[in-house]
Amino acid sequence: MQRRLIFKGLGASAVALPGLAACGTGGGGDVELSDEPVTIRMTWWGADTRAELTDQAIAAFQKEHPNITVKGEFKDWAGYWDALATTTAANDSPDVIQMDELYLASYGDRGTLLDLADTSDFLDTSGFEAATLETGKIDGTQYAIPIGAGMLASVVNADLFAQYGVELPDDTTWTWDDYAAIANELTEKSGGVINGTGLTGGTDAGSIRYWARLHGNELYGENGDVTLDPAVLAALWEYSLALIESGGAETAAETVEGQSAGLEGSSIATGKIAMTIAYNTQITPLLAASGADLRLIQLPGAVETTANFIKPSMYWAVSSQSEHPAEAATLIDFLVNHEAAADILGTERGIPANPAMREHVATDLDEGEQLAVDYLESATVGPAVVVTPNGGSGFDPTCQRYSQEVLFGERTPQDAAEAFIEELKTEIDAAA
Amino acid sequence: MTDTFAKATPATAPPASNPASPRRARGGFRRVRSIIKHALLILCVLVMLYPVLWMVVSSLRPNDVIFRDPSLLLNDLETGNYAEGWNAFADPFSVYLVNSSIVVLGAILGNLVSCSMAAYAFARLEFTAKRWWFAIMLLTIMLPIHVIIVPQYVLFAQLGWVNTFLPLIVPKLLATDAFFVFLMVQFIRGVPIELDEAARIDGAGHPRIFAQIILPLMVPALATTAIFTFIWTWNDFFSQLIYLTDPDIYTVPLALRAFVDAQAGTNWGAALAMSVVSLVPIFLVFLFGQRFLLRGIATTGGK
Amino acid sequence: MSATSELHNLGQGGARAKRQNKTAFLFLLPWFLGLFVITIGPMLASLILSFTDYNLLQPAEFNGLENFSRMLGDERLHQSLGVTFTYVFVSVPVQLGLALGLAIVLDRGVRGLAFYRSMFYLPSLLGASVAIAVLWRMVFGADGLFNDGLALFGIEGRGWISEPETALGTLITLNVWTFGSPMVIFLAGLRQIPRMYYEAASVDGASRWRQFLSVTLPLLTPIIFFNLVLQIIHAFQSFTQAFIVSGGTGGPADSTLFYTLYLYQRGFGNFDMGYASALAWLLLLIVGAFTAINFWASKYWVFYND
Repeated sequence: MQRRLIFKGLGASAVALPGLAACGTGGGGDVELSDEPVTIRMTWWGADTRAELTDQAIAAFQKEHPNITVKGEFKDWAGYWDALATTTAANDSPDVIQMDELYLASYGDRGTLLDLADTSDFLDTSGFEAATLETGKIDGTQYAIPIGAGMLASVVNADLFAQYGVELPDDTTWTWDDYAAIANELTEKSGGVINGTGLTGGTDAGSIRYWARLHGNELYGENGDVTLDPAVLAALWEYSLALIESGGAETAAETVEGQSAGLEGSSIATGKIAMTIAYNTQITPLLAASGADLRLIQLPGAVETTANFIKPSMYWAVSSQSEHPAEAATLIDFLVNHEAAADILGTERGIPANPAMREHVATDLDEGEQLAVDYLESATVGPAVVVTPNGGSGFDPTCQRYSQEVLFGERTPQDAAEAFIEELKTEIDAAA
Repeated sequence: MTDTFAKATPATAPPASNPASPRRARGGFRRVRSIIKHALLILCVLVMLYPVLWMVVSSLRPNDVIFRDPSLLLNDLETGNYAEGWNAFADPFSVYLVNSSIVVLGAILGNLVSCSMAAYAFARLEFTAKRWWFAIMLLTIMLPIHVIIVPQYVLFAQLGWVNTFLPLIVPKLLATDAFFVFLMVQFIRGVPIELDEAARIDGAGHPRIFAQIILPLMVPALATTAIFTFIWTWNDFFSQLIYLTDPDIYTVPLALRAFVDAQAGTNWGAALAMSVVSLVPIFLVFLFGQRFLLRGIATTGGK
Repeated sequence: MSATSELHNLGQGGARAKRQNKTAFLFLLPWFLGLFVITIGPMLASLILSFTDYNLLQPAEFNGLENFSRMLGDERLHQSLGVTFTYVFVSVPVQLGLALGLAIVLDRGVRGLAFYRSMFYLPSLLGASVAIAVLWRMVFGADGLFNDGLALFGIEGRGWISEPETALGTLITLNVWTFGSPMVIFLAGLRQIPRMYYEAASVDGASRWRQFLSVTLPLLTPIIFFNLVLQIIHAFQSFTQAFIVSGGTGGPADSTLFYTLYLYQRGFGNFDMGYASALAWLLLLIVGAFTAINFWASKYWVFYND
């Protein structure tokens, strides 16, 4: 009996491991709503507020579709991806998946997400702008629907500027040189009590994309290959080093500490610096944590160029392993296209990517949300960025590692930039 | 190897007084020494407990103060964190405490029964390839969970156990926590074999020796196992994350992590408050359970 | 051990050994079930996967020894080995020494024993709590308590937790801080030493120090040995604390990149589960070797009562 069980156990894993990709519903013909009661699973990452609002939205959906039961599952960010990878590997993934730009191609390219063209009868995408939809496509296939939009911004603490008698910058004309000068002035006038700024990027994909565009470069090319010029990245790190050297920015140690502390523990939230870079939608938690007069202004160089871009804050996708793709698509349709859902969800997942919903929620915004929406509407938006290619999901930690080696003087910027880009290319080639 | 030692400590000794008592002169000196000892111990305790105390104090602070104040002084009391944390999710936090308790109790029961049985076999019985089985047992705990989890998930999914507590409890019933088998083996081997022999002469078989001689004598080991199982299971994150999908059966670690969202903001006050709350059961269990650590041969063997 | 088996052989002969096989099987039945139904299958699966290219989402493809040859040139792997070995060899002896020392002090009839034991144990209870990340920052951050303490002596602090040279040190401290776990096992072991041995020794006129050397220490060696094996295996597999404190990166600049953290990053972060499985089996070999050495060496210093 024992021997048979060994075989059963092993057989199960041996069969299921190779069997995954071929599963799922495949072609579009058989996607239709069931008359029977159906249960679908929906999963997302996020904290308590998101769980509460999403549960309410699910309840509203179930009222409209009495035969569909939705089981919501929430996880923290890191645990979410571990669980999603494990359940997908075991052919047991949830039906509706909250997706991130970093992982979209990793999952889409490997056949684990449904082509949403198959479910177009149930999920209407006509209300979205073409450029927005593009951010959910991999090689022309619509794998995901953007939920919300975010955009990089400069955050300034107007209280600290006033306290130390420094004039707020004119964000229609300012450059990175102006930014450095103002940062140095803040540190000087405060007598070293605060620093002008924290790190101005170079540790995450967003800030590097923006910097690259200012220099006529792009992080990824149209076909998903790495086109970032090492010299451009090195220049960004050199800029950071110079700012730390002059005292305008915090020390490397303080910067790194801030990176691992979350928004609430970051230096802009605790009032140790007066300027930083963040996504516009992060202003709400920053306001709450700092209790200061924080404002969103344009990034240096942004007004005169079209370097800044809209980043989909997250997406909805349907698993290709789903047995109920029609119901899953119907749920997504409700979440992104219906005012009843928008009323509940508001801007918690970012400013709605669907323009009609954005307009709808605009009437009822709190202070932070209003700041974020105003910023998005006033910003100069450049072309959409290429989605992180398959194999690039480790970008941010890898980038942090190399940037830390630079900041702590273990490598020269040029050397680190070359090694980083080399490693990134290797990962992406290996995944392709 | 044991024979050398047996000579040094004859097993049959006449009863004598407590070994600590013969010296009672120089009382004043002893008192000073005792005060110094306690002062040092209390200093150690304070240094060690600072982070824990800070956590308790911070759970009573408004959110915007938490990251700015490393001190232990509480200026304005903010008890709202507890109410907020308790009701942060669809279920009140008590649901997660109960779920964790179910998993923990199942795991403790499983470990106590299955590990002590296996330990008795390894410590007291002769059987074929014993050393190899022991080595295999230790090997099974040397692979990190991260590479086992996918095939294991496939296995439990086939059994229909996903989204139940079974994947978290059944393995314990089957002695997969080899550490505790090893721990108990070490303790059983510390029990004088003469006690077994005496029972055997009285006609007792192995089940009776195990149940009536060994088990009562290894209460400290059982208590240690219970306490450790409690703590490890209570804090275990990864397997609970993977196997529990329905929020209604989430456990404490899952709920605690779900407070943290680095992108959209974290209610640290509530997170710390619930961290404190989740510490209370383990602390109580330890306070209560440690009495059993003192039992065993120390009290019964000398009779 | 030898003495008892001799006794068995003398008394019962071969028939008894056979019967013990059956008895042993019954006692081991739960464990055998667990081994063959739950444990072995996934373990073998991971062994097979270590010879494949497996990205979790698509079928695994055999690639022979490629994963293992790749290890030779993998600088991050070498870094993680360095970090892990440093961690094991520094934190295990310090933690065990502290635990043993305090267990002995506390076992010697200190008034308020229960109080101290609970207090020393409290940090171990925090375990994998997310609060650890915040706590450790408040202690070892640039504005943390540790620097405040140093300032009292006029020493200028630094960002202990965020600088590559000192970050690992803070994690070692974190591990030492939880010395309550081995201490409890030591205490249980001390309590299990039959009082009659002390009584005998004290009749012989042995001093307390002599009693400690000739009674306490030898009889405690099985427990010391257990703690040593356990803590070494645990230290090699150390994951959670580094994961929480560094936010999963092993930073700053890979200075806290523990072996299992790297393995996890490869497996889940980079969808490289084939390589991660190979790394896991290398770890098993390393830990297995250390444990084997430990067991071999135990012949020379661990005393059993049977």
